[in-house]
Amino acid sequence: MIDTSTRAAPESTLRNEEPARSSQPAAGAATPRVTIAVDDTRQARAITSVKAQVENLNFYYGQNRALKNLSIPIADKQVTALIGPSGCGKSTFLRCFNRMHDLQPDTRYEGSITLHPDNINLVGSGIDPIEVRMRIGMVFQKPNPFPKTIFENVAYGLRLRGVRNRATLAEEVEKALRGAALWDEVKDRLQDSALALSGGQMQRLCIARALATTPEILLFDEPTSALDPIATAKIEELISTLRDQVTVLIVTHNMQQAARVSDYTAFMYLGELIEFDEAAKIFTNPSKKATEDYITGRYG
Amino acid sequence: MAGLPTVPEYLNPDSIRTGLSRRKVLDQVFVIVGLVLMFACLGILAVLFMNLVLDGSERFGWDFFTNFPSRRAERAGILGAWVGTSLIMLVTAFCAVPVGVAAAIYLEEYAPKNWFTAIIEINVTNLAGVPSIVYGLLALGLFVYQFGLGQSIAAAGLTLALLILPIVIVATRESIRAVPKSIREAAYGLGATRWEVTKDHVLPYSTGGILTGMILGLSRAIGETAPIITIGALSFIAFLPSSPITSEFPFISFAWLKDPFTAMPIQMFNWVSRPDQAFQANAAAAGAILLGMTLLMNAVAIWIRYRFRKKINW
Amino acid sequence: MSTLGGPDPVEGHTAKAFDAALSDLRLQIVGMGGLVIDQVSSAVHALLDGDADTAKLVLAREEKVNELERFVDREAFRLIALHQPMASDLRMAKAASRITVELERAGDEAKKIAKFAGRVATGEPQGPVLAVARFLRHMAELTTGMLRDAVRSLDESNADMARAVRARDSELDAEFAAALRQILTLAMQDARFLGATIDTVFALKGLERIGDHAKNIAEQVLFVTSGEDVRHKKKAAEAGTPEK
Repeated sequence: MIDTSTRAAPESTLRNEEPARSSQPAAGAATPRVTIAVDDTRQARAITSVKAQVENLNFYYGQNRALKNLSIPIADKQVTALIGPSGCGKSTFLRCFNRMHDLQPDTRYEGSITLHPDNINLVGSGIDPIEVRMRIGMVFQKPNPFPKTIFENVAYGLRLRGVRNRATLAEEVEKALRGAALWDEVKDRLQDSALALSGGQMQRLCIARALATTPEILLFDEPTSALDPIATAKIEELISTLRDQVTVLIVTHNMQQAARVSDYTAFMYLGELIEFDEAAKIFTNPSKKATEDYITGRYG
Repeated sequence: MAGLPTVPEYLNPDSIRTGLSRRKVLDQVFVIVGLVLMFACLGILAVLFMNLVLDGSERFGWDFFTNFPSRRAERAGILGAWVGTSLIMLVTAFCAVPVGVAAAIYLEEYAPKNWFTAIIEINVTNLAGVPSIVYGLLALGLFVYQFGLGQSIAAAGLTLALLILPIVIVATRESIRAVPKSIREAAYGLGATRWEVTKDHVLPYSTGGILTGMILGLSRAIGETAPIITIGALSFIAFLPSSPITSEFPFISFAWLKDPFTAMPIQMFNWVSRPDQAFQANAAAAGAILLGMTLLMNAVAIWIRYRFRKKINW
Repeated sequence: MSTLGGPDPVEGHTAKAFDAALSDLRLQIVGMGGLVIDQVSSAVHALLDGDADTAKLVLAREEKVNELERFVDREAFRLIALHQPMASDLRMAKAASRITVELERAGDEAKKIAKFAGRVATGEPQGPVLAVARFLRHMAELTTGMLRDAVRSLDESNADMARAVRARDSELDAEFAAALRQILTLAMQDARFLGATIDTVFALKGLERIGDHAKNIAEQVLFVTSGEDVRHKKKAAEAGTPEK
């Protein structure tokens, strides 16, 4: 049984306290950090730029309450990771963002996910789920390219939005494939079947497919659990670079991946949010004992 | 040696080996039984086919295909029969496939999963077991009299369409189900509506299965005698239905739909029932041709399935 | 170009943020090393020249050395937690923490020398210092040279340079022994400036300790480059079977 009591909070580490760094990060790894303001009681957190604010989100499968009063900010142009044991509701939570649950019968949302800057509630009744899915993209666990050509895979989302001009399509497809670090590998075989690619390439194709429609938030549902270490590393690096273009929300059961890739991490257990903080803090010195137990591997 | 724990009988390597050889014998026995049964079935089919071919061999020739039936066995041909069968199949396919595919799509993609749709599903599969003569009776009352189609190709086509509808529906549903949920999720995730998911992904990827189902249905329909007898197929006609292609505008005529007709099974039945022994050869020849057509359609179905499966592998 | 059978290596790590963090760490250590070397030579100059201002500067900068130790330690810790380094990267992260400890202690020794220099500038007798001035100067050169080479060997991952630093420690020890003899001789002849004499001995000892710290840094560099842990081993014995 995981103990959810809070440990005595140690002193926080603020980036502002550190001595000025004399070195510059290597080119291509520039990661503008968002400052977090923390007060001494560790109550308030203020991420300066929020893309989506989740407020008291509850989710029901029939009578079963799968998510309980989740409230968490999703920082703009940063990577937020959701970790937790199986069945803790992290995938369920992720799928609330693009209303995938609406495809199942007997599901219900309570509370809100407010998308900024428009201030619309993604899970409210005032918005069509299809519109939500057009603004929020998703990459799934098992790479699932369509059995079409590579070009058509990436272009499909654009076609749905009414883009017919061949030149525009070609341009957008190239942009998306470059964004997914796949262009160089496939530029000479855009008309080949997507199924001829390797697993890692297929997943990058799925990422390109989602990027083509310039989503405001990109959701990743355990994107590398079906891939080998080298493909995984490439995709993690890709996610790191995507940070500059789009807000990323990633669910992973691999804690080390969350540590490597994310700026903010949320630990969930049994449908509840246990702790949310900067990744560096969570993985070096979490506040809640439950988080510590999970991260160190001390769970029953 | 005293003190060592004894190995149980069944873990003893020797007994494992003897037990194993016994089990492998049983394994082999099943293989042999299976092979024997399979060859027996194939053999029977081959013998039947050969019998028909040999019995009808003297009739095979261009004349056989281009002659109308006649009182003289040597000059009796199947022209009316195979033209009638072909036109009926055309109507059957034209009616059964759209209705069947649409019904399957609705049941699989759109219908909510409740007791009502469950009942519909059970009944659809049960329809496949309804005796074909019952379809004939239904058609007689409904198409021939109620709708006033008379004893025509249209009525026959519709009857057989009803007959093969369950086959088409089931085959379509199976191939729709074979499209993985992940593909649908990907399409929905990009913002597609349900119809777009069906039109752009589910249908294109299940085309192979749908075509297979259609051809299997048609190859069943081609040999159905009872329903078309019931609605009044003729067996001695010396004329063809009107040509679908005319020499004046609009160049396509649908008059043939209302024409009386005959079909291959009818012709065969008619010849077999004659006292004159010479007609047996005709019947055999017609039967061989009918069997050949069926086998050919099945082969085409298999080839189509193979070609589509090569392109798409989940 | 790949070796037989292995995957093609890329320039740096696939994870560029990890790459950047690792090279940052190295850079910070090199920077800290430079600062400490400067502290040592400034402190010794202050002592020899009786320069109060330089002594004050050294004392003021000591806080910066401590800050850098905390910073590098924290960064190495973060690197391990967030990036799960393996093999040579892991050894580098571990060694980083140890090296900064050695540098910080070297900085402490420099601080003590600077304090002594401050006292000399404000009146403490300089006689004993001048008596061993040439030893002080030479030891300072030797020890800052060792520090410089140790830090460079880390930066360049140069195992030979690190081994050379270890070897020079015996030269430093010999110099210290000679200086000690000289000052003891002087003290026995003329016992007037006992306080200053003792302080001078401490200063000489401090320089010898700084050399030990440089040697420890070199040992850490050997750990990073080859995985060998050569701490507390005699240099001669290590030439035989290496022990991981």
